[in-house]
Amino acid sequence: MQRPEWAPESIDIERPSVARMYDYYLGGSHNFAVDRAAAQAMITAVPEAPLMAQANRAFMRRAVRFLAARGVRQFLDIGSGIPTVGNVHEIAQHEMPDARVAYVDIDPVAVAHAREILAGNAQTVIIQADLRTPEEIVKHPEVRELLDFSQPIAVLIVAVTHFIPDEDDPAGLIARIRDALAPGSYLVLSQASGEGRTEEEAAETFAVYRRADNLVRARPREMLLPYFDGFTLLDPGLVWVPLWRPDPTDNTEDADRVVFIGGVGSLGE
Amino acid sequence: MSDHEDGVAAFARAWAKAISGTSYIPMSQGELEEQLRLLTRELRDALLAEPFSIRRGYRVGGSLVRAHVVSAEGLGRTIEVLDQRLLRDLGLADTGGRMARLLGTVSTGYARALRDRTLDEQESIRRAAMVAREQAEHALRESEARFRHQATHDSLTGLPNRALFTDRLHAAFTVPGRRLAVCFVDLDGFKMVNDTLGHHAGDQLLIEVGRRLRRSVGEHLVARLGGDEFVILVQDTSCTEDALKVADAALTAINEPVEVDGQRLGVSASIGIVERETEGSSPSDVMRAADVTLHWAKEGGKRRWALFDAERNENEIARYQLSSSMPAALERGEFFVDYQPLVALDGGRLRGVEALVRWRHPTLGVLRPDTFVGLAEESGLIVRLGAWVLREACAQARRWLDVSPEAPFVSVNLAVRQIGDPGLIAEVTDVLERTGLPPARLQLEITESDAMAGVDLGVLDALASMGVRLAIDDFGTGYSNLAYLRHLPVRELKVAGAFVEGLRTGDSPVDEKIMATLVALAHTLDLVVTAENVETAGQAARLRAIGCDSAQGWHFGHPGPPSVIDAQLAI
Ligand SMILES: C[S@@+](CC[C@H](N)C(=O)[O-])C[C@H]1O[C@@H](n2cnc3c(N)ncnc32)[C@H](O)[C@@H]1O
Repeated sequence: MQRPEWAPESIDIERPSVARMYDYYLGGSHNFAVDRAAAQAMITAVPEAPLMAQANRAFMRRAVRFLAARGVRQFLDIGSGIPTVGNVHEIAQHEMPDARVAYVDIDPVAVAHAREILAGNAQTVIIQADLRTPEEIVKHPEVRELLDFSQPIAVLIVAVTHFIPDEDDPAGLIARIRDALAPGSYLVLSQASGEGRTEEEAAETFAVYRRADNLVRARPREMLLPYFDGFTLLDPGLVWVPLWRPDPTDNTEDADRVVFIGGVGSLGE
Repeated sequence: MSDHEDGVAAFARAWAKAISGTSYIPMSQGELEEQLRLLTRELRDALLAEPFSIRRGYRVGGSLVRAHVVSAEGLGRTIEVLDQRLLRDLGLADTGGRMARLLGTVSTGYARALRDRTLDEQESIRRAAMVAREQAEHALRESEARFRHQATHDSLTGLPNRALFTDRLHAAFTVPGRRLAVCFVDLDGFKMVNDTLGHHAGDQLLIEVGRRLRRSVGEHLVARLGGDEFVILVQDTSCTEDALKVADAALTAINEPVEVDGQRLGVSASIGIVERETEGSSPSDVMRAADVTLHWAKEGGKRRWALFDAERNENEIARYQLSSSMPAALERGEFFVDYQPLVALDGGRLRGVEALVRWRHPTLGVLRPDTFVGLAEESGLIVRLGAWVLREACAQARRWLDVSPEAPFVSVNLAVRQIGDPGLIAEVTDVLERTGLPPARLQLEITESDAMAGVDLGVLDALASMGVRLAIDDFGTGYSNLAYLRHLPVRELKVAGAFVEGLRTGDSPVDEKIMATLVALAHTLDLVVTAENVETAGQAARLRAIGCDSAQGWHFGHPGPPSVIDAQLAI
C-alpha cells in the first residue's frame, strides 16, 4: 500500500538533528552519537560554533528578560529546540510569575522532550508545527487556549530563519504571523549571517549543516530588515547578538565572531 | 565571617571570567559571580574547618554543575584558578596539604554530578525519541487505518462499500459446504426524490435508509453499492426462510416515512433475494441472479421482495437469446409467411388470406408468432420484421392476382410500434407501387387494444385514403367499444375466438345472442364481420344464421404455404 500523503515523517535518529546539535553546543547531553559527530565536525570547521550558540542563547535570554520587565506576559517561541537550561518560561516566569509560553518546534523529538519537561506546568504548551505554515501555529487550538491574541505577545524566532530557504519567503511567513498579533506585540529574531566572512569561510561553516536535516541560508543584515516590516526596531537595532543590550559585566569583544545577528521589534500601538 | 570578603569577591570575579564560555550558563556574568562568591566562601570554610571534611569539596563540585558549568574545560579552568589564586586572594596559607585535598574533592564532586546529569539527560532524550517514534508510528497506523476505512467504506452512509462487500462475498465462497443469501435492495422512486427535492434531500434519505438497514438486519453485513443500491449479505443460512426473514425486516424498516428537510417522504424499496449453496455457484453468479431478481420485484409492483427462481430465469435467458438472435435470423432468411383463408360464410368464396409469419429456427424448429412477435415488439425489431412480412405478403398477393381475378386480398398484422413508425406510410406506398398490388387488396389488422390505446388517427386516415383496408383484430378482448370504432376508418371487424367458442355446441344462447347483437351493431356501422377460430361446421352454420359475413379457422383451412392457395385458385 502506498503511504498516504498525510502520514507523518518517521522519527529518524540516524540523522543528526539541528535541535540536538544545538543542545550539544550549549553543553547539554540531550543528544545522540550522530548529533555529536556532526557537531564535532562543525567545531573542527568553525571552532567558535559553541560560542555562537551560547551567545545566541544569551541574546534570547536578555531579550526575554527585557520584554518581561516591560510587562509582556505572553510568549510564542517558534523553533524552540530542546528545552533545557534557561527555558523561555523559566526566564519569563522569573520576572513575571504569570507569564505564559507556547513553544513550537518542527522536530518531533524536541517536542516529545519538551512535553515531558513541561508536563504539569499549566502556563506552557508545546506543539509540533512548521514555521512555513504560520496559520497552523497561530490558529492552533492549544496555542489559542493558552495565549490571548487580543493582547500583546512576544514572538521569538531565534536561530531558526537560516533554516528557511529564500523560496519559502521568510519575510512573508513572519508577516503572516504578525497579522495575527495585537498592537504592543514584539518580534525577537536572530539568525546566522555571513557578514564579514569570506565566501570560503561561510561555505565551510554552513556545509556541515548539509548533513543534518537542514541547509543553512546565511543572510546579510539588509535581508533581515524586511522580517521586521511593520515592527519598530528597538535600540540598538539589528546587531551582532552580543551587542544587543549586553549586561554590564558581559564581554563584548570580537562580537562579530558569533555570526548571529539579531534584534527586537515592537508592533506599533 | 566578614573578613576575606574583598578577597572572596576578587577571586569569584576571576573564577567567573575563567569559566565563561566553557558551556552555556543561563545567567549574566554578574549573577554568575554572585553564585561563585557563595562557593568561594564555602571553599574558604573548607580550608579552615577542623577537622578537614571532604564533603564540602564534593558539594562545591556538585554546585558548579548545578550552575550549568558542565564541561571538561569548566572543571579544568576551575582547578587552575583555584590552585593559582584562592589562597592568595583569601590571604590564607596551605596547611597540611589541604589545598591539594580540596582540589581532589571538588573534582570528584564535579565529576560525579556531571556524570549523573549526563546520564539523566541521555535517559530523558532517549525516552523522548522513543515517545516521538511511537507517536509517529501511531499516527501512521491511524492514518493507514483511516485510509483503509475510506477505501472500504462509503463516505455518505458510513456503510461498507462495494469493495468490502465483494471481498466478504468472495471470502464466503472459500468455505465449502455452506449456504448464503444476498438481498439486493433498491429504493423505489429514488430518482424522483433526487430530481424534485434535490441531491441534498436524496443524500439525507440514503443516510437514513442506510441507518435503518443497519439497525434492522442484526449482524449481517450491509453495504452500499452506489446510488440507491444496498446489499445485505446473510452468511450461513440454513434455508431460504432465513433470507426471507431478513428481507422482511429490511422492508418493514424502510417502509416507515422519512423526515427530510422538514418534509415527510414515503419510502419503499424492492429486494431481490438469492439464497443458495456456495457449492456450484460463484460470487458473480449470485450477484447476477440477485440483480435479475431485483428486476422481478420491481416488475411485480415494487414494495416487495422477489426470490430467485431458476426456471423463470432460464426462460428469461432463453427468451433473451431468442430475441437477440432474431435480427441475424431475419438477415439469413429464416422467416417465412404462411397464409390462412378468410372465407365468405355465404357461399364459401375465398375472400382473403391472413399472412402469418413463422420462424424456421435452426435448432428449435418452426416457431409460431406467439413465441417471438412479443419479443420483436419489445426489442423494436418488429418494425423491420413487419415490413418484411408486408413486402412478402404483397408480392404473393400480386402473384395470385396474376393467376386469377378471383385472388384473395392479404391481411397483414400491424404492430403498434409500426403504426408509430414515421416511415410506415412511405413503406406501404412503396410496397404497393413495387408489387403493383391494388391498395384494396391489402388489409392491415390492428388489434382492438392497440386501437383503443390511442394510435395516431392521422396514420390510419392516410392508409384508408390510399384505399388500403383496415381491420380491427381480436375484437371483444378489450372494452369492445363499438361507439369508438365509429371514429376509425375501419372496414372490417375480426371477432376474437372467445366469442366463437361459445357457439361450438349450440347450448349457449347467451353467447349466441351477444354475437348476434355484435354483428347487427357492426352492420349498422357498415363493418364487415369476420369470426376467428371457427373450428366446426356447427359454429359456421350458427354464424351464418346470425348474419356474420366471413370466417377464419381450421374449419376453413389451416395456415399453410402459398401453394395451398395456388391450388384453390387453379380449380
Ligand atoms: C538552532 S535551534 C534554535 C533553538 C532556540 N530557538 C534557541 O535559539 O536557543 C533551531 C530550532 O529550529 C527548529 N526548526 C528548524 N526549522 C523549523 C521550521 N521550519 N519550523 C519550526 N521549527 C524549525 C529546529 O528543529 C531547531 O530546534
